[in-house]
Amino acid sequence: MGAGLAGQRAALAAVEARRDVAIISKLHPLRSHSGAAQGGINAAVGKEDSVDTHIYDTVKGSDYLGDQDAIEFFCREAGPTVVEMEHYGTIFSRAEDGSLARRPFGGQGFPRTIYAADRTGLALLQALWERLGTEHFTLYQEWDLTNIVVREGRVQGIVAFDRRTGQFEGIAAKSVIVATGPAGRIYGRTTNAHTCTGDGVAAAYDAGALLKDLEFVQFHPTALLESGILITEGARGEGGILKNVLGERFMGKYAPHVLDLASRDVVSRAIVTEVREGRGFPGDFVHLELMHLGKERIETRLQEICDFCRNFAGVDPVVSPIPIFPAQHYMMGGVGTNIRGETNIAGLYAAGEAACVSIHGANRLGGNSLLETLVFGKQAGLAAAAHAASASAPELNDSDVADAEAPVRRMMSRTDGEDPQAIRTAMQQTMDRYVGIYRTEADLLEGLRQIRAIQKRFEQVRVVDRSNVYNLNLTDALETGHMLELAEVIVVGAFARTESRGAHSRVDYPSRDDAHWMRHTLARKTPEGPNLTYAPVGYTRWEPKERVY
Amino acid sequence: MPEKMVSAQIDVFRHDSAAGGAPRYQRFTLELPPHTPVLTALLRIRAEQDPSLTLRYSCRSAICGSCAMQINSKSRLACQTPIGPEIAEHGRIVIEPMRNQGGVRDLVVDQTSFWEAYDRMRPHLITDPLRPMPEGRETSMTPAQVEQFRETPRCIACAACYSACPAVEADASFPGPMALAKLYRFVVDPRDQARQDRLLRIQTEGLWLCLRCHLCTEACPKDVRPSERIRDLKEMAIAAQGGTERGSRHAIGFKQNIRERGQLNEMKLVLQTDGILGAVGQAGQGFKIWRKKPEISKKPRRIEGIEEVERIYEELDPKPKGDR
Repeated sequence: MGAGLAGQRAALAAVEARRDVAIISKLHPLRSHSGAAQGGINAAVGKEDSVDTHIYDTVKGSDYLGDQDAIEFFCREAGPTVVEMEHYGTIFSRAEDGSLARRPFGGQGFPRTIYAADRTGLALLQALWERLGTEHFTLYQEWDLTNIVVREGRVQGIVAFDRRTGQFEGIAAKSVIVATGPAGRIYGRTTNAHTCTGDGVAAAYDAGALLKDLEFVQFHPTALLESGILITEGARGEGGILKNVLGERFMGKYAPHVLDLASRDVVSRAIVTEVREGRGFPGDFVHLELMHLGKERIETRLQEICDFCRNFAGVDPVVSPIPIFPAQHYMMGGVGTNIRGETNIAGLYAAGEAACVSIHGANRLGGNSLLETLVFGKQAGLAAAAHAASASAPELNDSDVADAEAPVRRMMSRTDGEDPQAIRTAMQQTMDRYVGIYRTEADLLEGLRQIRAIQKRFEQVRVVDRSNVYNLNLTDALETGHMLELAEVIVVGAFARTESRGAHSRVDYPSRDDAHWMRHTLARKTPEGPNLTYAPVGYTRWEPKERVY
Repeated sequence: MPEKMVSAQIDVFRHDSAAGGAPRYQRFTLELPPHTPVLTALLRIRAEQDPSLTLRYSCRSAICGSCAMQINSKSRLACQTPIGPEIAEHGRIVIEPMRNQGGVRDLVVDQTSFWEAYDRMRPHLITDPLRPMPEGRETSMTPAQVEQFRETPRCIACAACYSACPAVEADASFPGPMALAKLYRFVVDPRDQARQDRLLRIQTEGLWLCLRCHLCTEACPKDVRPSERIRDLKEMAIAAQGGTERGSRHAIGFKQNIRERGQLNEMKLVLQTDGILGAVGQAGQGFKIWRKKPEISKKPRRIEGIEEVERIYEELDPKPKGDR
């Protein structure tokens, strides 16, 4: 489920294992949000760099919540993964000697981010889709997922409907892989696409899967002011700098060694602090300056960024600073898995941003997410294929389809009730206001109260559009329901975690508390709301230290 | 400083192919700042006035290729088109689905033919088992080789070019600008081992149906310049295979004619393009033209200043490859 990089890579692995594979996606695969990733993909492949440094940077970046065994596996797979994608046809940027070009990225001791201008995700997505296109599989394009069916402790298949006809269908499957990406639209101010609504994660949660570390939400430091459109970390990797209203390069105060290339959580907090303490520009933002890099470098290395700024913010980065402010960007959490993509349910797998292995822990490094989609997409595909080779036939009944369809028919037959978009907007305002970069107990309690009240409103959601063809009003309703479930898990997890770690910053608990909190949050759905338990962090050889950049 | 608002009158094409009935235009009016993208305006309509308005959209930053549509009769991305200039120029904004693709509902079109044309290009690296990729490391490729892809890696498959293309409209067998730009991307890829075969095939699979109107290049939101890459494909096809097709023979003959005399010898060009038998087949057509324009039967003179033409040819094409 999902046809971005993780879903496609999983499908490719399963097809190569000679299994019968279907991909289901609400978008054409080439329109997936993976294509919006800009900056690059990390791999320690040069002579001077080392896999150990990549591991260390990732462990440190995760604020010691990443599982070190998983991170070691992940970083070792990086080089072969990038080479494989190059052989599939990815058009990477190159150094003069013909090797893959690399740029520095935040929180890393070496320039190890391999890139394709500032459209690395698009380059990978094109190449993988082209490679997958030579194989046989079924594509359910523009289908909306409603349920994952689990019975007798194992996956039996999914229920979904074709947007073109509105027809619900059960698709029986021995293995199901959740690769539906993030749920960034839980927030109003986000870099994520409109379609990033966590459908697969919510369906897995409904089916009894454990969600891991959902309270860790990454806010990208540099998003365009009004639209929230992402300005890649590569812009700072190329030498871009942040300045406040006084013209100060303020990152010197927060990260004296690496300045603007500190980890994302550090830079985002610095920007918010500058603005809160009155050193932002009127309208609450700071400047990202690229002008000193020169026209040619900006226009070749940061071509898309130039277009974004000119088209969506009315500024030309060659001659003017870019007004920016942080925006929700990435979910470190997701469906809990091990390094094979296995969840707590037999036959259910997850990969990519929808999953939480965890390699990102409390904060993801730039350049690690594209790598994650490919490394763990492949692992999930292999594991799912192996399971399917031995599992008995799944059983999906007409009643499974009828059960999934019934609530939808109720939404479509109500004569009064609220439009899903109004409910979605209310949720986004609550999350922006109460569950953002800096968190407090009082805010989180209020956030939880509001989210639960909004969930109540959602029980009366009304779909006024009665058409069976491409009914986006219905899609709005389903997506909003999915996001409301996940929003609750985020707030409950954030409220319980009385420490500050990585992207989770509690003003009332400003320190990291390894004795109590060096552990993963696991949320299980119950009628009373998420039930939280905790699991230890995988440890190999990297002793937790204070995180200074 | 608050921006001045404009009153946007937006007329949107509405039709549900399943429900039947005649298409109609529905008028919506909104107050918005002039830099507001058309997509934002349409989403405001969905949120505040009519949630049944149907369109494709996702990233809102011109990278997913979902929201191409006709905006005041031009194929553009809704997310990348601000309303202000549209209203200033046209007084209102007329929103219609893309052309050359069947309607599904409102602004959503059926893209089957678009994707099938893409698939026909064999859009993947074709490698030769005898010349494998380097074991365990990347293929070497210089920045200059990456340059050869020109802007084709930027393509987001939005189909704005396909919608704008009159050749697609005239002949459904024409693959369209996006597919040909994709083909170019593989033809110039140093890792691909099927360059000759790709060029040979495309000569009979639609390359010469391009009208060279450049509307695709005008429509492309990512500056991929498909028409220029189609021109490159034609040149490469001639260089590789010579005049194997009507289209390439016509191009070669045209170029020779001008070089020799500075003007076309239309009788000769027909012979060069279609051969003697083909020319006989076109005799009736030729006779009709001759009655109106009897001078076409005369062999044209070399124009005055033909040396200048020769100099231009030498300048642009010092060592002619394909036409000898």
